[in-house]
Amino acid sequence: MNISSLIPVPDFIPLDWPWFQFFLILTFFLHLLAMNLMLGSAIIAAAERFKRHDKALDLDKPIAKRLPFIIAFAVNLGVAPLLFLQVLYGHFMYTSSILMAVYWLSVIGLVILAYYGAYIYAYRKTEDGKTFIITAIALLLLVIGFLFTCNMTLMITPENWPAYFTHANGRFLPLKDPVLIPRYLHFVLSALAVAGLFHAALGVWKKKTDQTDTSLGNNGIKWFFYATLLQIPVGIWFLAALPRPVMLWFMGGSGYATILFAAGMVYSLVCLVFGFQKKIKPAVFTLIPTVMLMVLIRDEMRTAYLNTYFVLDDLVVKPAFSPVIFFSACLIFGAVMVVYMIKLALQAVQEDKK
Amino acid sequence: MNYPVWELTTAGGGLLIALIAVFHVYIAHFAVGGGLFLVLTEIKGHRQGSTAILDYTKRHAWFFMLLTMVAGGITGVGIWFIIALLHPSATSVLIHNFVFGWAAEWVFFFCEILALFIYYYTFGKMEKKNHLIIGWLYFLFAWLSLFLINGIVAFMLTPGTWLETGNFWQGFFNPSFWPSLFFRTFLAVIFAGIFGLLTASFIKDREVKKNLVRYCALWMIVPLVLLLLSTGWYLSSLPREAADMILGKNPEIIPFAKGFIIISAVIFLTGLAAAVKMPGSTGKPLAFVLLAIGLMYMGSFEWVREAGRRPYVIYQHMYSNAIMPSQEKMINANGILKTARWVEYKEITEDNALEAGRRIFYLECAACHSIDGYSNDILPLTKPFTVFGMDSMLNGLGRINAYMPPFMGTDQERLALARYIVEGLHKKKKPVPSPKVNQVPLEPLPLFDENEDEYLVLAWNSLGMTCIIDSYPFWILMPMGNTISAQLIRRGELPEIVATSVDMTYEVEKGFENPSASVDFWRFAEELSDLDQPLALNTGLTGNSTSGKMQFNELSNAYEASKVPVTPYSEGKGYHPYPVFTITARDKTSGDILARTKMVAPVSTETGCRKCHGGPWRVDNRAGISDETAREILAVHDRKNKTDLLAEAEFGRPKTCYTCHSRSGQDKAGRENMLNLSTAIHGWHANFLTGRDESACSSCHPSDKNGSTACLRGVHASMGLTCINCHGTLEDHALSLLKHEKSLNKKGADRLMTHLSPREVSSVEDINPRMPWEQEPDCLNCHLDFEPPETDSAFNIWTETSAGLFKARTGDGGIRCAACHGTPHAVYPAFNMYAKNRDNMQPIQYQGSPIPLGGDRNCAVCHRVEMDYPLHHPNMEKMFRNTYLIDEE
Repeated sequence: MNISSLIPVPDFIPLDWPWFQFFLILTFFLHLLAMNLMLGSAIIAAAERFKRHDKALDLDKPIAKRLPFIIAFAVNLGVAPLLFLQVLYGHFMYTSSILMAVYWLSVIGLVILAYYGAYIYAYRKTEDGKTFIITAIALLLLVIGFLFTCNMTLMITPENWPAYFTHANGRFLPLKDPVLIPRYLHFVLSALAVAGLFHAALGVWKKKTDQTDTSLGNNGIKWFFYATLLQIPVGIWFLAALPRPVMLWFMGGSGYATILFAAGMVYSLVCLVFGFQKKIKPAVFTLIPTVMLMVLIRDEMRTAYLNTYFVLDDLVVKPAFSPVIFFSACLIFGAVMVVYMIKLALQAVQEDKK
Repeated sequence: MNYPVWELTTAGGGLLIALIAVFHVYIAHFAVGGGLFLVLTEIKGHRQGSTAILDYTKRHAWFFMLLTMVAGGITGVGIWFIIALLHPSATSVLIHNFVFGWAAEWVFFFCEILALFIYYYTFGKMEKKNHLIIGWLYFLFAWLSLFLINGIVAFMLTPGTWLETGNFWQGFFNPSFWPSLFFRTFLAVIFAGIFGLLTASFIKDREVKKNLVRYCALWMIVPLVLLLLSTGWYLSSLPREAADMILGKNPEIIPFAKGFIIISAVIFLTGLAAAVKMPGSTGKPLAFVLLAIGLMYMGSFEWVREAGRRPYVIYQHMYSNAIMPSQEKMINANGILKTARWVEYKEITEDNALEAGRRIFYLECAACHSIDGYSNDILPLTKPFTVFGMDSMLNGLGRINAYMPPFMGTDQERLALARYIVEGLHKKKKPVPSPKVNQVPLEPLPLFDENEDEYLVLAWNSLGMTCIIDSYPFWILMPMGNTISAQLIRRGELPEIVATSVDMTYEVEKGFENPSASVDFWRFAEELSDLDQPLALNTGLTGNSTSGKMQFNELSNAYEASKVPVTPYSEGKGYHPYPVFTITARDKTSGDILARTKMVAPVSTETGCRKCHGGPWRVDNRAGISDETAREILAVHDRKNKTDLLAEAEFGRPKTCYTCHSRSGQDKAGRENMLNLSTAIHGWHANFLTGRDESACSSCHPSDKNGSTACLRGVHASMGLTCINCHGTLEDHALSLLKHEKSLNKKGADRLMTHLSPREVSSVEDINPRMPWEQEPDCLNCHLDFEPPETDSAFNIWTETSAGLFKARTGDGGIRCAACHGTPHAVYPAFNMYAKNRDNMQPIQYQGSPIPLGGDRNCAVCHRVEMDYPLHHPNMEKMFRNTYLIDEE
């Protein structure tokens, strides 16, 4: 079967693709941070409760309090990149989603369950059942993450698509794709690292100290360090599992991709070192650009995967500028209002404390 | 086409979209109106200095946050997921055209979340003024979200000038943008009241509860009035076709539109009752019931709006099945299988026909139709059809059923789809073919002695292809009866047509004397025919029975017996459409037989309604309308024309079609401004039977030569001519009738003509209008001056009046054309499938050969001597040309 003949014809785009690429990368970066925080926090909280040591609740409690907010923003920040992704790669993503439609649609139900679970977990007055609840939330989020990995993998591997002819019922998952598991693990580990470091940093920030000997800091940075350490074997596995042309893309095939990849490795190692040294603030300042690098590498990986079928230059542009001006105005207005509202909120919190 | 189709069955047909969307949209509207409700209720609390109201507001805000942010927010993403799964192409259009609209909406969504968090978590902790600012900001962002989504949703129904320009703003601020925005805003406020009532019903303090229930009731009643006003505005902003859909053209909508109206009243009355009558006692059950009613309200509105868009998903831009109208021609030429990306079968073979049909179903039908499911289930909708019927139904889609897109693809693909639905989904087996017709030997003919006999009688009947339709308990197409005519000729050098002193009688052959035993006509004849008294059994409407006397008609110069009741059901022989009548002329005074002959009075019930309308044949698996078929036909008529014919028939009050649809359009019967019967039937069905040959005619009429009647049996049929040679294709035929009715401004003519294209001529303008029964193709169209024809098409030149019809015409000398040439559709030599010479009895009796009377210069048959002048019509002195037809005997 000629795979290329299956690829749908994309609609035109209203601006040159770099605009959308820019918005996609920017908003995906924000989403990735929030999503990592959400997934990592839930796993860490569940794991900490299982440990049942005295200090376990140090991490559990702040996570419980914050999880509903984190989920709200993780979802919201996911909307924008999903939008821009559809603008550039909709013809790939709609197709892959349809192939795994049943699972893909189930994401909605699973998120609602996890979300309500987070509220119950946060506001339940007794401790009874909370371990079960947070474990369930963590598992739900893990499943959701897995389904996202499946879809994002399936959308860039049209070679998997002929499975439609035997799975038109929307129950196909690219389970046999060698990249799937290492890719998934790579994301789960990064979620643990980001969440661990975030809660550690928040603890430190609150106490206005860079001391890492608080239990909170210690615990969080440990999650950060070990998760990042585990990225080494998982990363190698991931790299090795990539189709050869894609792997070579990062090994000199594309200068830009190779530089990104090298920078990503260096930053990750620096993260590891700071994690080992339990230096929270430097770790934070290294982790943020590392995440951005990972987003860019991921984007390059998609480009390399789809290279034989599609390049963004193929998209036809029917230019329309006024809508982006309108959007920018809304964005600026929204940002001003966000700052204003946060200001009022902080003011109220401070007054309340007084 | 572009994308793979998620093959759903029970959950298909858009059900998933409906479920997620209605749930989400309900909450999403609440999220807007509820924002206003929170701020105003908080202000009310402050103004009245009531901590109870402020506490209520905070509790309501908690409930509001949990509901709108979690269930509401996530199902919003859910709609996006599900539309992308079921309508990827349309979703792609919305995303690519309005990406920055969506993006702006995302910004407001973000601000909404933040504002709501702050509003709730700082309730009572923030300075009053600031807190209200946060509340107002929340409402602003929520409403701006509505503003943006409304633009895009309204775009799908009324894209307006975007269709030409593709301009973002023209698409966004489309014709229904503002009315829809106001409508939705009022709806949002109503829902705020309903949800407010729900939380208020939990208040324990009676006074506070009374206060708040009354307050919430006002939220329901006041905006409802405004909402109903904006409904009119909304409807007026829609294209006429879409408004028509909503106002009843789309049967799918009717229950929802009615639901919307009823629920409006319920909300109003409940609100009123809650406000005035029993504010303190408004209980939780009522609140929950109202909540459910609110959901139904939302559902009805959304359903009506969605269905108003039919057959498009984006009005006039993309059909519901994601095919663009602009692709139609290309798909019809190349085939849907070759055009669609995600099908493995590019060619249809006998082996893959059902599978290919299944894929076509998913490509073209599944967007709206489930299989054994809850949304537009395809199974009950297609239950009656045979493969032929299903194929014809698909043929007619988008023509008369304007709420469905046309079928797009090749005829072979259409047939594969029909087979998949009938044989694959309904598991119907191929129909058992009718048994072969048994030959019925001819009884001996009366003797004729060319030297001795002084008289000869020639007889014929008036009906050609028309049959009786024995659906009497349900409806009557036309009164039963066959008109028999005869001319008695006194032989001699100057023969004479005898009109006096003769008793001319007719008598049906044995077995056919009791038609009332086989059809129900006489049970309903009195009412149907406006008679003063019951019609005697086996008597026709003019008083003639199966045997009797004929009267001489000066105008037609022949003896006649009109409306002689005759059916094709004989006692002992089963279905037999060619009963023989014996015609006898006797001297009035002496009673001596002057002449005697036999003729066939054809009558068939092999009317193929069942092919599309379901049900079995009524008799012998070859003819007759079964009750099931008759019922289904009325059900369709009722559905399409908002009549109640089926119910009336079930009550024992069947109607005759002539009650509303006149016979020819000229007579006074029928309803004013309504299409005459022939036009209504041909015009309607032609839309389902386009692009076909004479098989289109034989799908209803008994003209199929492999059928049980083969009514087209004259010399022309033997020579290979078909219905089309004289009447044109079904489209041409229908258009000629429709044009006549259109010229009289009859209702519905335009609608039926819209999708019909003529095939025998190049444009509709070239079609000559005609009245049914009165204007038919003339024999002389081809046989110019009675010469051998140079063309084989008699179509489009009509007799001016019924006087010019073959069956009514007379040659020079007063002899009727049919007397020598036989009955219409069976002109001599005719070949009958039941017995070869059944229709040729008179020429055989009088001249030993089946050719027309007097053919081969046999003038002596009447004149006793040879004649040298072609008196009756020119060219009659020549020899019969197509002797090979007879030689083959």
